[in-house]
Amino acid sequence: MTKGRIRNNVRTLRFHSSEMTQQELAEKVGVTRQTVIAIEGDKYSPSLEVAFRIARVFGVPLEEVFQYDSTDSNNANAT
Amino acid sequence: MYVITYFKSAKDYTIQFSDLGELLMEMSYQEKSIFGSLVAMLVVYGYYFAAVLHNIGKPEFAATGLGRLILAVIAIIVIEVVYHIVLALESKPEAKDERDILIESKAYRNAYFALSTGAFLVIASVIAADLARDAAPTRILVTPFLVVNLVLLFMVLAEVVKLVTQLLHYRRGF
Repeated sequence: MTKGRIRNNVRTLRFHSSEMTQQELAEKVGVTRQTVIAIEGDKYSPSLEVAFRIARVFGVPLEEVFQYDSTDSNNANAT
Repeated sequence: MYVITYFKSAKDYTIQFSDLGELLMEMSYQEKSIFGSLVAMLVVYGYYFAAVLHNIGKPEFAATGLGRLILAVIAIIVIEVVYHIVLALESKPEAKDERDILIESKAYRNAYFALSTGAFLVIASVIAADLARDAAPTRILVTPFLVVNLVLLFMVLAEVVKLVTQLLHYRRGF
């Protein structure tokens, strides 16, 4: 079974965007500040729409904001 | 002094608040709204059901209980309206986003299980009382007013399950 985890660079990208605050990002994306906090803490994976909106705010491709780390447990057991 | 601790898992994060005020300050608008509704439900219906239990089996049960039930419903409406006006003045109201809606959906799922379990128990108790009356025509306590209160109790419990689920998801991450 494949178990994945989505990681992100939102905090770093905010820092490089003139130290944009979580509230500013939340308003630009159209979510609450608590959702930005949850995303940054890898506690919530946003919808594709919100993910694209975040990438657009920073002017970078989606892959630069979110990365998908997957580990195949079957392969891990076999090896 | 209140000590409220939330655990997700041993290696995950733990937040400790030594003061309820600090916890309330840190909460989002949605969390404050849910927390207020939960407190209002627990206080008003806690008082109401304590009074119902106290008077159960008494002849005047249905008559006095109905007035109390109407009072409880009015009290909840008034408290909720006043609390949300104060909350809107104190902190900027926020529209629900996709995470709020997702958390709410999960909370409604849990509430549905609580409510359907309650409905099953009420049906079972009415059938059991009916069978018992046929077998031995003695004084049966399952009156219409008691059934009304049992249904109300499970509706309140389902709402409490919904609100607690939401608070846990907001605190523990989702």
